[in-house]
Amino acid sequence: MSFWKTIAVVTSTALIAPPNLASAQDATAVTIVLPAGPDRLDPCETPRSVIGRIIKQNVVETLVELDYDKHTTLPRLAESWEQTAPTEWVFKLRQGITFHDGTPFDAKAVIHSLERTNDPALTCITRTKYLDGTDVKATEVDAHTAKFTTKTAVPILPTLLAQLTISSVKTPKGEYTADPIGTGPYKFDHWTQGENVGLVRNDAYWGEKPVIDKATYVWRSESSVAAAMVETGEADLAFSIAPQDATNPETDKVYPNSDSALFRLSVDIPPLNDVRVRKAINLAIDRQAFLGSIISDKAELAMQQVGPSVLGFNANLKPWAYDPEQAKALLAQAKADGVDVDREIRMIGRPAMFANSNEFVEAAAEMLRGVGLNIKLDNLEMTQWLKMANKPFAEDRQPNIFLTMHDNNSGDAAFTAFFKYHSNGRQSELHDADLDALIVDAGTQSGAKRAEEYNEVFRRIYEDIVADVPLFHMVNYMRVGKRLDFTPTIANAVELQLARLKLK
Amino acid sequence: MGSFIFKRSLQSVFSLLVLIVLVFFLARMTGSPADLYLPQDASAEIRHQFNEQFGFNDPLYIQFGHFLWGLLHFDMGQSLQFSRPAVDVVLQAFPTTLTLAAFTMPLVILVSVVTGSLAAFRPGGVFDRLASFISLIGASTPNFWVAIVGVLVFAVTLRALPTSGTGTPLHWILPVAVLMLRPTGVLVQVVRTSMMTALSSAYIKTARAKGVGSRAIVFVHALRNGLLPVITVASDQAAGIVNGAVIVETVFGFPGIGKLMIDSVMLRDFTVIQAAVLVTALAVFVINIIVDITYALVDPRIRYS
Repeated sequence: MSFWKTIAVVTSTALIAPPNLASAQDATAVTIVLPAGPDRLDPCETPRSVIGRIIKQNVVETLVELDYDKHTTLPRLAESWEQTAPTEWVFKLRQGITFHDGTPFDAKAVIHSLERTNDPALTCITRTKYLDGTDVKATEVDAHTAKFTTKTAVPILPTLLAQLTISSVKTPKGEYTADPIGTGPYKFDHWTQGENVGLVRNDAYWGEKPVIDKATYVWRSESSVAAAMVETGEADLAFSIAPQDATNPETDKVYPNSDSALFRLSVDIPPLNDVRVRKAINLAIDRQAFLGSIISDKAELAMQQVGPSVLGFNANLKPWAYDPEQAKALLAQAKADGVDVDREIRMIGRPAMFANSNEFVEAAAEMLRGVGLNIKLDNLEMTQWLKMANKPFAEDRQPNIFLTMHDNNSGDAAFTAFFKYHSNGRQSELHDADLDALIVDAGTQSGAKRAEEYNEVFRRIYEDIVADVPLFHMVNYMRVGKRLDFTPTIANAVELQLARLKLK
Repeated sequence: MGSFIFKRSLQSVFSLLVLIVLVFFLARMTGSPADLYLPQDASAEIRHQFNEQFGFNDPLYIQFGHFLWGLLHFDMGQSLQFSRPAVDVVLQAFPTTLTLAAFTMPLVILVSVVTGSLAAFRPGGVFDRLASFISLIGASTPNFWVAIVGVLVFAVTLRALPTSGTGTPLHWILPVAVLMLRPTGVLVQVVRTSMMTALSSAYIKTARAKGVGSRAIVFVHALRNGLLPVITVASDQAAGIVNGAVIVETVFGFPGIGKLMIDSVMLRDFTVIQAAVLVTALAVFVINIIVDITYALVDPRIRYS
């Protein structure tokens, strides 16, 4: 809109429009406040929460859906599936479904969506995060049966396909779209750049008809404003408000956000190459003291980098006790054996990694100083932090205690174990051949055996190697307006199914 | 006047180019966009592919050459975050900020000139002390804090105004009020000082001796001369409204250029940063030219030719 046009619109609205404050909307329409607006609305980018929370399972659906509680997959656009060979899976598709543009949902649409996601012209996050390396291809067996083949055996292919959204064959390949066309219970209606996105109910939906007929998404990065919008009735639901704004127990609901915070230790560099020093660091941090003070009291102590919703999570690990005396004793022992425990260790944080993360690193650094460690604290901006997070690590780097946050919402430990702990993992500081072999083997297993092997991976990292300092499985607060009957779950870290919103 | 404007334009184009060159190279020293746009566990191949696609694998001088060539054709490149031409993204956001400024600045000038002049009329009086106190608070209170308190008071507690967003005239009240605070605080001080100097000058004494009324002395005789420094400071404040807009647009969800610039810096969206700097710098240049012309109109002693 041009400058003068904007002036004209604002002035004319001032003259003719009545004030439009709280609750001036349809009884079955909702307004949802997101922390940030979308940059695109492409179906192949739904693993990014900024896009997924708007269109995933609302506009574009997947063949299968994750059941985070039971560590399994549920049918959605696919009725059933079976592994017909180690590198081959056959999916039976639901029949009688049409896309919002009227084209039929069939095997061709599945092939088109996969090819579009795999097209190197786009850096689709579904490919770069989940499908990269699988070389997965789809072919048509018949109109309602699709066959997926992979380069090597991928036992969790259905889990991966829970990330692949299916869109109409009319969605162009090789370019991002701002007009997602799916089969979901809602149709994309409009996107006013910088202001809002609107969805409307798809009355021809194949499944149960949802209660909500219209959803408008707006975004406010200031948490107190987002919370105030629900408070005043201007909006019905606000994602991710800061703990200090979650002051109303009636409307503010906590849910695990699939993020786990921990300190990574540079295990190759003295004095952190001595396991006693690493144990001392774990013993010196009073994790419990943070809960209810600067970290939400609903967060949970972590013993590994994945949370309970992930297959492979080891529930048998016990939290480190807070025992500064034992920490001092271990450091003294190490010192007596010639370990330079007085060497400066750099603790690296990142502002706003999570609510109060600055205060957290300051307090943690002080706790470590309390047991005699020489800690220098640095807070780095995102790209500088990323440079340190990823390989290649600087050859001459100081020993680091590196604050990091890992988000595994895929439901499987494969997306953590290799990347974080295998010798070739991009963010791994470990070089343990036995652990490498176990990680690789766990990745080839399925079912109970897979869970068991990943359990062992996390046990070794935690108890034998003491590679890092697991801190907390984090939570988010969502403010849900009084009109709505809705309880958030971990799935809301990346999506919000409007069909699950009920009115009171 | 014409040759002056031409000379000033040339100087501004030169400054603009220096600015753009600095932005181009400094932005690229801050890290690779691939780190921010790709998942942390993206493979080296995908990272290479990404950098290749956007030309980040080329040496800097080649990238700069492409940039200059594009600039000659009014093409500032594609936005990484929006997958649209950067110029389109910036030109879409700019009118919002400009509209905010267009509402804010006249109000700032009106309030400051009236308050500052009245304060200067009786220095040390009750009104003067009150005006100085309030304007100092206005000039020194952080915008983001006032904005949030404004939402809590006027939207949550009184339910008189919407919390944020756009749509009705009521949506503009809080953002404009917050944006006015700092420049008004500064300008009231400037008007007061400048008017006090003018009011103590010989020609005012003469006017008083001739029996000219107080109102005419302040608003007719003194104001014209007292306005010169005010114009200079007001133009600085107008240019600085983009800074204030960053806060206001972020808190109130206004899709303007201030928030766009911050987001683009955070996301290393180089093309949008460049386009936003160029457009903002052009606006500042236009403001400065307008100020120079206004100077000439207010004070006929100034001759640019």
